Amino acid sequence: MSTDPDTSRQSNTQQPNTRQSGAATNSHEPELALHIEDLTVSYHSKPVLWDIDLDVPPGVLAAIVGPNGAGKSTLIKTVLGLIRPAAGHIYIHGKTYREQRRKVGYVPQRSSVDWDFPTTALDVVTMGLYGQIGWLRRPGRRERARAEKALEQVGMDAFAERQISQLSGGQQQRVFLARALVQDADVYFMDEPMAGVDATTERTIIDLLKTLRSRGKTVIVVHHDLQTVASYFDWMVLLNVRVIAQGRVDAVYTAENLRRTYGGQIALLETPTTDAVAEEEQPDGPEQEVEGARAL
Amino acid sequence: MLELFSDFTLRNVAMGAALLGISSGVLGSFALLREQSLLGDTLSHAALPGVCLGFLIAGGRNLLPILLGALVTGALAALFVLLLTRRSRLKNDAALGIALSLFFAVGTVLLTYIGNQNNAGQAGLDAFLFGQAASILPADVAVMAVITALSLALVLGFWKEFKLLSFDPGFAGSLGLPTLLLDIIMTVMIALAIVIGLQLVGVVLMAAMVIAPAAAARQWTRRLGAMVTLAAVFGALSGVVGAVISALATGLATGPVIVLCASVFVIVSLLFAPERGLLWAALRSVRQRRELHSHQVLIDLYQLADAHGNPQYPSEAGMMNLYYGTDARRALRKLASKGYLVKTEHMREEGPHWVLTDAGYERARELLGEMGLAA
Amino acid sequence: MTAALQSWLLSPDVGIVLVGAFVGVASSLVGTFLVLRKSSMLSDAISHAILLGIVLVYLITGNQYSPFFLVGSALAGVATVALSELLARSRRVKSDAAIGLVYPLLFAVAVVLINVYARDVHIDAHAVLLGEIGFVWLDTTVVGGLELPSSLLNIGIITLVNLLFIVVFYKELKLTSFDPALAAALGFAPGVLYYALLGLTSLTAVTAFDAVGAVLLVAFVIIPPSTAYLLTDKLWRMLLYGAGVGVGSSLLGYPLALALDVSIGGMMACVAGLFLVVAFLVSPRYGLIAQEIRRHQQQRKNARRMLLVHLYSHENDRESLEENAVTAMQTHLRWSPERAREVLMDSLEEQLVEKHRPDDRLTLTSKGRILAQEVLEPWRRGG
Repeated sequence: MSTDPDTSRQSNTQQPNTRQSGAATNSHEPELALHIEDLTVSYHSKPVLWDIDLDVPPGVLAAIVGPNGAGKSTLIKTVLGLIRPAAGHIYIHGKTYREQRRKVGYVPQRSSVDWDFPTTALDVVTMGLYGQIGWLRRPGRRERARAEKALEQVGMDAFAERQISQLSGGQQQRVFLARALVQDADVYFMDEPMAGVDATTERTIIDLLKTLRSRGKTVIVVHHDLQTVASYFDWMVLLNVRVIAQGRVDAVYTAENLRRTYGGQIALLETPTTDAVAEEEQPDGPEQEVEGARAL
Repeated sequence: MLELFSDFTLRNVAMGAALLGISSGVLGSFALLREQSLLGDTLSHAALPGVCLGFLIAGGRNLLPILLGALVTGALAALFVLLLTRRSRLKNDAALGIALSLFFAVGTVLLTYIGNQNNAGQAGLDAFLFGQAASILPADVAVMAVITALSLALVLGFWKEFKLLSFDPGFAGSLGLPTLLLDIIMTVMIALAIVIGLQLVGVVLMAAMVIAPAAAARQWTRRLGAMVTLAAVFGALSGVVGAVISALATGLATGPVIVLCASVFVIVSLLFAPERGLLWAALRSVRQRRELHSHQVLIDLYQLADAHGNPQYPSEAGMMNLYYGTDARRALRKLASKGYLVKTEHMREEGPHWVLTDAGYERARELLGEMGLAA
Repeated sequence: MTAALQSWLLSPDVGIVLVGAFVGVASSLVGTFLVLRKSSMLSDAISHAILLGIVLVYLITGNQYSPFFLVGSALAGVATVALSELLARSRRVKSDAAIGLVYPLLFAVAVVLINVYARDVHIDAHAVLLGEIGFVWLDTTVVGGLELPSSLLNIGIITLVNLLFIVVFYKELKLTSFDPALAAALGFAPGVLYYALLGLTSLTAVTAFDAVGAVLLVAFVIIPPSTAYLLTDKLWRMLLYGAGVGVGSSLLGYPLALALDVSIGGMMACVAGLFLVVAFLVSPRYGLIAQEIRRHQQQRKNARRMLLVHLYSHENDRESLEENAVTAMQTHLRWSPERAREVLMDSLEEQLVEKHRPDDRLTLTSKGRILAQEVLEPWRRGG
């Protein structure tokens, strides 16, 4: 691959930039669902995210796409305050996450929990309300009703009392989605909700995301399947340690941008050494890399 | 039996053992679910130097300072493990082993030091190694009751937070729960459960009481509340039965007997609990294997009939037995009972034959279809 | 000469220190591989479980000194691990809980059996848990005309066996410790080697049992190799350093225990722990202090790179003027004025950036630009 610093910087300036002027920076961009300035995250003194400037307008379905170790999960966890950044600012509708916690919903990776835990689907969904219930109080009938409604929305009402280990992978994912729905947020962050689920669940999830969008919600999803990005999402962020490109899918989804995002990883397909920067990032499995390569 | 419990000492022992079982069952449930079982092991061994320090500072065998000492060294050991895993290249297992053996070694040094200073006192401290039911006083039971009540209150008060933290710490953090603080509280509570059991079970085996009742309870239920309650019941029963047995039979160390009782609950639960019981799983797999076998026989008969171009082709029973071995008779009888086969003796001199019925013929085609083979 | 050696060997001090040293060496030889395999806590399970082996053999043979002890204990140790693994594989409990369920049960059975059947034999709580290394010189055996403490002979033999095992299977052990999957693929039967290792751990445990007991043995198995692990990356050095820590613990622990009049085995284990803490603090590569120094350097380097990347990202933006001003380092990168100044000085000194008057605008030098590109697009390196 030829090293030509100028081409990369050329396209860097071409990237859609919603920020209009430097002056607006100081008001923290309340009209943007997510606004990140100069974010750098390091893990064990290794940089995982470098100097991220990122904007997502409200009311879009946004996909965060990038190769393994690109820092996709790290980005979401940092936004949600689970990882402390080394530098930078993050604003959700113009305020910090701490101030906006009630307006944010979160779907972690399904593999991040032990599904053999002794609890039911309905119980897991109710957990979405724990932040609102307050200390020393238990969820009551009202919370239960809300959780049941959320389960219904994902087509899982028949499984409310089922132990979570007895659900299929897709059903477990839908339970996680219902837990985020019950949070009744304005901005949702989802970490690979469509990884390893069946076709029905994928359909249910994408319909639900579109419903959320039609209600004016913003959904930001870590997505691994390049082939479906264009049909599912309208906004796209290409990430590989830094932001390669961001904007409307039709503008960002170009061969050149994808090459610049996955370039290194495609070279790595031939040599088995991985160059994952983020150690804690869940490996997405080799399929993803292959898919990424095929899409080009 | 009633007469037994009117015995003053025995009643003391039974009450203490029940308290110990309840607290270790409840708090151990969370340790088990958070995969911190071996941390319990380390904390219990690390209680020994605390017991000795409490004794030295209080200048006698007074339970409260001894338990406080145990709590403090237990917490120090937990911190030491955290420090080693976070700030060195040592892995969790090595850190647990190092803390366990090092703190215990310090304990043995202190134990011998006390032994040299004060021979009468050391006899009392030895009870903390394997537990001694007879050494328990009414005042001790009161101390245990207060600590148990305190930790149960904590569990009830922070129930939903503890549940969420155990199941999905990342999501708990995103809701703004103080995960680090809750983590510390839960670790201290495991140390508390251990401290309560020291006198009856001893430092060496107390870890088992944290794990066993919870592991047994886990097999019976799909809800956290039920699991915790059941673990408390199993723990209390093992405690009371074990303590009473050891108090009645002279020369039996209490701790090992209590642990044996708890292990009985574990073994019974692992084998016989509905749904998760290993016995049922084994029976299921035998049944499945048999069903598979009878399917195979049916398909073979079908293919035999097909090859001869005659759906009513009679297969000789003797030949079948020879081919499939002893199991064939059971499989054939079962197929016949389902109406897939009939036995005919159309040629007397050749012995019984098996013939597919129409239903059997259809069923075989179905099975082949399911297996993705053209019928 | 022989007479001098003879009286030297029979002096209690020498006997105790030698037994302690051999226990340390034998344990840390097998312990090295347990630590590397992340199975350290198995030594805890094994050392408790061998008590059941000892008790059962005693009850069956009625003999307090029987070679069957070795067989029984090795079997008990291996059986504990096998049972735990079987239980974990049934997926009814997690593997950590499985270990914590199996060995206390076996240990409890052993203690109850002692209580019920073997009360005439003096096996008290102290001896079982802590051993009695102070008495090892009492019982002697004559070998080749030389009278030796029996414990010394036994632990010496087991040390040699462990050493031989490691020398013969060095390559295989190394491979199975670091990459079991690859070892299996190459046909090394990691399972067989693993159980052989556990068997030797059990043999070491039963041989050292009289001297240090069940729990202190764990200290000798885990602490010396862990100390060595903090000092080196090379397997043979780890074995060597681990053995050194074992010997050192015995040499220092014994006089300390005598001076304070406390448990000898306990003191030896404490000294081993002290070695570990010292290594944890001052190891040149992995020590806490070295880590802190490196972390500080890394932070400065990262800060420098952060500045470069920041400048690079905004080089052609319309707002680059605002972003690149020195003050922007404070507002955008959230650095304190002192930190910003320090990073700026570093970067200017290394000729990564240039400062332009009059507005203090910063631009990248070509060296700085290449560095920023390397950070952002590592795959471009080497072109």
